[in-house]
Amino acid sequence: MFSLIENEVIKMISKKRLLFVIAILVALISVFAYGQHHSSERIKTQLSQRMGISATTDWHKLADQQLIELKNRLDSPYRDEKDKSALRVRIEQLQYNLDNDINPLEQSAAKFTTKFMEQSIFLFLPLLIIMLASDMVSGESSSGTIKLLLVRNVPRWKVLLSKFLTLIMLEIIVLFFAFVLSEIISGLFFGFGGWNAPVATGFKLVAGKLDTSSVLNVPQWRYTLMVYSLAFFVSFVVGSISFMISVLVRSTAASIGIIMSTLVAGNFISYFLSDWKITRYMFMVNLRLTDYLSGSFQPIEGMTLLFSILVLLGWASASIIISFVYFTKKDILV
Amino acid sequence: MPQTPVLELTNLRKTIKGKDIVKGINLTLHPSQIFGFLGPNGAGKTTTIRMIVGLIKPTEGSVKICGYSVAREFVKALSNVGCIIESPDMYQYLTGMENLLQFAAMNKAISQQRIKDVIEMVGLQHRVNDKVSTYSLGMRQRLGIAQAIISKPKLLILDEPTNGLDPAGITEFRNLIRKLAYDEGMTVFVSSHILLEIQQMCDIVSIIKQGSVVKTANIQDLLQDNDKIEWQLSDPETAISLLREHWNIQASQLKKNTISANIGPHPLDKLNEFLISEGLALTYCSATRNTLEDLFLDLTVGDEIV
Repeated sequence: MFSLIENEVIKMISKKRLLFVIAILVALISVFAYGQHHSSERIKTQLSQRMGISATTDWHKLADQQLIELKNRLDSPYRDEKDKSALRVRIEQLQYNLDNDINPLEQSAAKFTTKFMEQSIFLFLPLLIIMLASDMVSGESSSGTIKLLLVRNVPRWKVLLSKFLTLIMLEIIVLFFAFVLSEIISGLFFGFGGWNAPVATGFKLVAGKLDTSSVLNVPQWRYTLMVYSLAFFVSFVVGSISFMISVLVRSTAASIGIIMSTLVAGNFISYFLSDWKITRYMFMVNLRLTDYLSGSFQPIEGMTLLFSILVLLGWASASIIISFVYFTKKDILV
Repeated sequence: MPQTPVLELTNLRKTIKGKDIVKGINLTLHPSQIFGFLGPNGAGKTTTIRMIVGLIKPTEGSVKICGYSVAREFVKALSNVGCIIESPDMYQYLTGMENLLQFAAMNKAISQQRIKDVIEMVGLQHRVNDKVSTYSLGMRQRLGIAQAIISKPKLLILDEPTNGLDPAGITEFRNLIRKLAYDEGMTVFVSSHILLEIQQMCDIVSIIKQGSVVKTANIQDLLQDNDKIEWQLSDPETAISLLREHWNIQASQLKKNTISANIGPHPLDKLNEFLISEGLALTYCSATRNTLEDLFLDLTVGDEIV
């Protein structure tokens, strides 16, 4: 089994797909970090100009200003109820920050590293995982090398299992690089640090309103750890689903196409069809797990962290079962 | 004590989407035999081979390799097989050596020395560290053979193995196959459409047509009792009736003064004496040994690709 996994790793490295994924990460994190740096500087100067404050270090005033803006937006009569509850959630969070002396504007590498993953978890991270997972089996089908693998004295389930375990390893590697790269690159902009700054979490949504009764402060590093654990879980789920597609479909292009369009469709399903109950059982709308930690608004009401995790777990296990059953039974005609 | 056959197919059938691709093939191969599997395109050769190595499941019937059923004891059965199926697909982005190491890693019995030996056997030692994407078709074919024989299988299955090899390569390949069969005791199963190849290489031949085997025989027997004689003589009609009455030979007129016939076991000199003694002027006589190609065309005539 170990040598089978070793084989898969050699193939993966030689194919340079992983290298490509890491290059994308470097590029995107750099752009993101620069943009973040740029916009936070601009907000600071804008706010200070508007309010006539020269000492931008006094974040309380800036936060107050932000709060007023949000409240104005809330009072606008053209906003529908869903937008309003999202705004309310944000306002309550900001208020909470003010009351507890937690600076929401302060940037740090730690904060960036976490924020980057929070922003990536529902689309960018899955895309990277898809790039790796979609090729694992269909790549061998389209090149015909699958025949060579399956006529050895190794049962089919072992061949597939070695591929699946390699995929899990790759998921960990991708997250590791995402973490290290964003820490290093953002550190150059914002300074390395902020790992002990308090972060508020434990928000709950009760009847469309943010319930802060159980909110507590955790050190940034613990919060980051939670975010990356959830990101790993999401990678695992998305990886398993694209792995299944890769088993079912012979061409890598088709396999990437199917899973990507599903993912993108999920993003506007959660936007347009949030009233339709069944959408909450789709895996695509359950990927924003970190929103439950930060108390951001959920796409569909009534969903909780546990609910989303269970739905995703269901999808992952169904995918794994289908992959193995199909792969061990199917006729190889390539 | 009878030996365990290396390969035993019993009533092997495959139906794909309601079409019978393979209709009940029976076959038994013993050690050190070189077996030729012949058939026109679409006759079911590759499907049969895929069933043998377990890539597709038979609709009915069974495959046994060295006594182990492929369906029930896959690992044991496949431990005895090396194969190339249809085309020697390799990992293009790896070198020849890395490809072989991949397959070696899947079987603990393969030593470094064996890998070296195999590379030399197929004559790839100069290019083995280049990427497969830079290989010619012939070199890929050689690498394909290398991966097939690397585990010293008892049964070697080669589907169209000489595709892309140059004439020198084909001769080399033929010698290699003979060596593997007669010195190392491998049973070699070759499917090919190059009939001359099969004729020069194989001991036993099966001809398959529309999913069923139409003839299985030792290649020498198959060709021997098919000597075809052509006579150029003065009165073909008389000659034909004389041959039929006195020797029970069915002759047919080819050209104006030429008749031809399969004479079977009858000695040609006696026949010629007879024709001359009957007053026919015999100007020319030639014997052509039937090639496998004639036989193949005879047997598969009117075949359509299903």
